[in-house]
Amino acid sequence: MAVSVSASTIASLNSGRSNRLAASSCSSKLSSSSSLQFPLRLQRVRIGTTGVCSPSRPRVLPLVKAKKQTFSSLDDLLANSDKPVLVDFYATWCGPCQFMAPVLNEVGSQLKDKIQVVKIDTEKYPSIADKYRIEALPTFIIFKDGEPYDRFEGALTADQLIQRIENSLKVKQ
Amino acid sequence: MMTLQAQASSSFTIGISSFTSPLGRSRHRFVVRAQVEPSEKSVEIMRKFSEQYARKSGTYFCVDKGVTSVVIKGLADHKDSLGAPLCPCRHYDDKPAEAGQGFWNCPCVPMRERKECHCMLFLTPDNDFAGKEQTISLDEIRESTANM
Repeated sequence: MAVSVSASTIASLNSGRSNRLAASSCSSKLSSSSSLQFPLRLQRVRIGTTGVCSPSRPRVLPLVKAKKQTFSSLDDLLANSDKPVLVDFYATWCGPCQFMAPVLNEVGSQLKDKIQVVKIDTEKYPSIADKYRIEALPTFIIFKDGEPYDRFEGALTADQLIQRIENSLKVKQ
Repeated sequence: MMTLQAQASSSFTIGISSFTSPLGRSRHRFVVRAQVEPSEKSVEIMRKFSEQYARKSGTYFCVDKGVTSVVIKGLADHKDSLGAPLCPCRHYDDKPAEAGQGFWNCPCVPMRERKECHCMLFLTPDNDFAGKEQTISLDEIRESTANM
């Protein structure tokens, strides 16, 4: 799975608590925001702090920095987004969801001007998953102007995902 | 593996140069795990089940064994918490009810009836992601999920 080097923004929901000190909550933030990457570990950079949460393991592949942002709700994020948003509904122990993690990094950076990528842990936010009637995981929903516009399930390669996003966004234009 | 210096309060401390971990388990690593792991026993049970069922159904594991590993751990995790290996690749309103009902307990009805496994655990040979293996070792599982 190829991973690009340029920066990408992947926003994730926090449980409403304000940002704590980077040092002590570093590892818990890592686990709550995302799940495993294989083989690349995503480095999370906290906004507003100078510290960097870096895992202590040798990096073999180029690093992708993701920005973590805090929103009070998904609705808030969707309302404030100037671009379409791709939301990935996932679970920690869902194999295909983990497979998609580096794919989403790649797609997020390749299409960074066209779409924003967001991941939602359905076990941490079951009410959001219920609201959008999520069943199989991963489910991807493309939101435009705050409303669901396209929806599909299952893992895909980066090329397939880019194709799908571009085709989907092209229709209205 | 680490050795810990015990708080020596005993009067018989002369000549003691090293201490074993008070926890006693040789495989225990002193890492704070933010994510709860399934029990090793359940992982082993689901690992064996997956190998057997792949053979029996003529299906193969994913080319990326990491996917296989995560799903096996997900099944083990549900077996621990719910008593049954509920499919980890779905969102549920009521997990215990679903586990009791059984449709999504692995091997789920879609798999049994149509060899459809959206977890990518059991893949028919024509599937793009299907590898050639029907085996996976505990080491493979550990290694590919080590950074969780």
